[in-house]
Amino acid sequence: MKRATATFDFDDDAPLLAVEDAVVTYSTSGGDLTAVDGISFSVDENEIFGLVGESGCGKSTVAQAILSLLPSNGRVASGSVRFRGIELTELSKRELDALRWEHFSLISQGAMNALNPVHRISNQIVEAIQAHRDVTTDDARERAAELFEVVGLDPDRMDDYPHQFSGGMKQRAYIAMSLALDPDLIIADEPTTALDVIVQDQILKRLKQLRDELGISVIIISHDISVIAETCNRLGVMYSGKLMEYGDLKEIFADPYNPYTLGLQNAFPTLRGDQSDLISVPGSPPDIADLPDGCRFLDRCPFATAECETEHPPLETVGEDHASACYHHDSIERMREEAKNRETWERTGSDTVPTGGIGDD
Amino acid sequence: MVNKRYVARRFALMLASLFIVITILFFLFRQVPGGPMSAFTNPRMSQAARQAVIEQYGLNDPLWRQYIRYMVNVAQLDFGQSFYYGSSVSALITDRFLNTMSLMLTAFTISYTVGTYLGAQLGWLRGTAKERVGMVVVLFVRSMPVFWTGMVILYVFGFQLDVFPIGGMRESTASYDTTTAKFLSTDFLYHLVLPVFTLSTYYTGLPLLLMRNNILEVLSESYIDTARAKGLTNRRVLFVHAARTAILPVVTAFAIAIGFAVGGQVLIEQVFSWPGLGREMVQASLRSDYPVAQGAFALLSAIVITMNFVADLAYTYLDPRVRLGES
Amino acid sequence: MSEETDTSGRTVTESRGTKQGWRRFFQNLKRSSREQAELFVQSRLAVAGLLIVLFYFMLAVISPYIVPYGPSERIYMADGTWASLQPPMAGHPLGTTDAGYDVLSQLLLGSRIAMFVGLLGAFMVAVIGTTVGIVAGYYGGWIDEVVMRVVDILYGLPFIPFVVVIATVFGASVWNIIFGVALLYWLSTARVIRSEVLSVRERPYIEAAEAAGASDFRIMAVHILPNVIPLSALYAAIAVGYSIVAQASIAFLGFGDPNVPSWGVMLQRAFVTQSFGEAWWWTLPPGLSITLVVMGAYLVGRGYEEVANPQLQEK
Repeated sequence: MKRATATFDFDDDAPLLAVEDAVVTYSTSGGDLTAVDGISFSVDENEIFGLVGESGCGKSTVAQAILSLLPSNGRVASGSVRFRGIELTELSKRELDALRWEHFSLISQGAMNALNPVHRISNQIVEAIQAHRDVTTDDARERAAELFEVVGLDPDRMDDYPHQFSGGMKQRAYIAMSLALDPDLIIADEPTTALDVIVQDQILKRLKQLRDELGISVIIISHDISVIAETCNRLGVMYSGKLMEYGDLKEIFADPYNPYTLGLQNAFPTLRGDQSDLISVPGSPPDIADLPDGCRFLDRCPFATAECETEHPPLETVGEDHASACYHHDSIERMREEAKNRETWERTGSDTVPTGGIGDD
Repeated sequence: MVNKRYVARRFALMLASLFIVITILFFLFRQVPGGPMSAFTNPRMSQAARQAVIEQYGLNDPLWRQYIRYMVNVAQLDFGQSFYYGSSVSALITDRFLNTMSLMLTAFTISYTVGTYLGAQLGWLRGTAKERVGMVVVLFVRSMPVFWTGMVILYVFGFQLDVFPIGGMRESTASYDTTTAKFLSTDFLYHLVLPVFTLSTYYTGLPLLLMRNNILEVLSESYIDTARAKGLTNRRVLFVHAARTAILPVVTAFAIAIGFAVGGQVLIEQVFSWPGLGREMVQASLRSDYPVAQGAFALLSAIVITMNFVADLAYTYLDPRVRLGES
Repeated sequence: MSEETDTSGRTVTESRGTKQGWRRFFQNLKRSSREQAELFVQSRLAVAGLLIVLFYFMLAVISPYIVPYGPSERIYMADGTWASLQPPMAGHPLGTTDAGYDVLSQLLLGSRIAMFVGLLGAFMVAVIGTTVGIVAGYYGGWIDEVVMRVVDILYGLPFIPFVVVIATVFGASVWNIIFGVALLYWLSTARVIRSEVLSVRERPYIEAAEAAGASDFRIMAVHILPNVIPLSALYAAIAVGYSIVAQASIAFLGFGDPNVPSWGVMLQRAFVTQSFGEAWWWTLPPGLSITLVVMGAYLVGRGYEEVANPQLQEK
């Protein structure tokens, strides 16, 4: 197999991954659509960073932009994505291939269709190794067996086809594959969607273990804020292509500053403990082909005022490692209080039927 | 590890299809104005000789008796005697069958290889100017009536440039000791070039367009993102990951392809005077040699039905999900 | 949106007689076709294809009034001999055949039979395929099983040889082609329509109609049919091309009616006289015309399909 190799001049002082003011657009017959609108965040060594938001908020587009997996009509229109100081958006296909999997790999929704159904799992892992390293197939298979053990799978079954595995096993197999080359960063896009709660828990524990034992950093992308809460050190809350709140997980969860985050927290049982008290934000995110002039959350926000209709608020620093985009940080105490009441969320004027919870895909 | 029950069921369906097709054919040919005997309104034949033949073929018996006898004979691979050649139909159509298959399988192999390859490439190029031009060319070629393509190719290479023979399967003077020698001779291959080329252009369209569509669908699967994220070359992503799954429906579409293929085959045998089953069938129909027409048609049908069967088995082999007895 | 308006008032409609039912049918059909037509004009290929087909259709209509010569009207040279195999020249822009006939005139008149066979064949395919598909899909069970097995068996009859048999048995005529098309070309249409019906029949307004006591026929005709008509139209468009090629092929094999001027018969004459080795002006025009009409019909179908199929459009 042709191996992907290239030499890079990494900047050891730079963050592991730094996304700055990234704008991602899709060109369609109806003009350019902006799916990600000026997002900045960074991920350090040995940390799990979470990106959370409803489906269609652009979080998966961010993942695709980092991995250069955007569909052919999508592109990073401006801003930068740097891995250890290397600008990823300017790399040739060859250079990019050398970085991929070797330095940053992917955990996709393995339970679904992220493993090729017509190839044996072992071969898919061996392929990833041999695309980068000059090793014999036997050695690569040995490595694959080792990886199966790392993720708690029986190495005897690595020659199975994906459909012979359960959803949880497939997800583990996928994780095994993403660890094949000891990457520095793993981007996990909805790693536990479609898995039952117990398996989900095991997978998340495994990811934390990888961070603690192997020092790998992980970006977890999820619509499920409880997943993020369970695993991450830091997070970004996305809405309609914008970062609404960003920073240290503990700070954000202790003192959320953004009405959208308040809404998200309400919608998940694990955070509030009481199943019967679930409150969801009525309505759905705006169509990216027809965005409102003001704050993106305007139509669904119970605290919106005339000021919010002018333009989308900028991110403001509200804590040590904590920023939020809202015009009403002053009255945050009142908002936190009112957000606990169901009636508050029902007064948004949105006449759409509640869909049963935020991020309910 | 192919599911045995499935194969058995599929095989039974294949036999039933053959049986029904041969039955339909038998009764159709009994509808000929004046009956099958009309072939013998041949002035050279005496009344007595004619009666003798009619007796010999049992054409005076009631229809159902003729039918049963015919089916029993067919089951023993006996398709009767040719009115025209006076010899055994089975021997005749076996010979023609080999000629047909040598042309058809060569063209099929070429067009399926080229078609799936080009289709995959075209799918990968989606949205580019190259792809648009490619599509128009493909659609144009696919729309050309195959016998006309043959005529144009003959016009250019046979008549104007005079680099290839304008018809037949070998020089009229040539003779070969064995069948193998015949099909391996350079003379044969030389005669094979133009008809194979024509048929290939015709057959290529279907696998190509299907492959392109399937590739487009498969490229949006998340395992393709996985493959790209692994840092694999485009080539490997396309051929090892996308094409392998995209090819499955192309194999299934074989069923439709083979039906068209036999039609194209008949036409091309006519254009290039290729002594195959199709041409024999057309000639036999024109000269009212019904036993031959019937036998040749049955065999053409058998090709279609058997190829369908093979395509189904190939599909189960290629797709591990089906192979292991799951849905 | 439109589905919601469908469900409202459904029960009322059912109790009110056939007139209402047919009005509903046309409403459903109108909505469905308007949606599809809007998508259609977005595809440049489909529009180009439609223009080609319309061009030949127009030729078919006006050709008897504009042809300079009859299809079998012999042209003579100045010296009184037949104008046999004359290359293109003034007065005969496409030259003459071996028998001294004007190629252009034959070509123009040939468009008539092509359009006739193409459109009638497509119509048969649409009617038969749609009916069978709806019945099999709607009733399911053993009816579906039987129909699908029949389809499987008919797939075993190769088209061209089969029409040759029909022509041998019933004599050379255009109707053989129509019969062959009607018997064998609806198979894929029926399969596709059937699977579409399987999904349509799960929709709430079908259940509502059933609950209101509508007859099976009424449900199939008024509620299901309008939803699958666009799909039948797509397959019919493609069948236009298949039928035209089938007609030309059969004529080429010598089983066409030699008295009806057609592109297939032109090519057959050029072939059997072996004149095609020289007279390119005789072979190219009919062949190109077939190719263009077939491609036009195919583009109408495909271009439309690409627009209508969001998966192909998106990525």
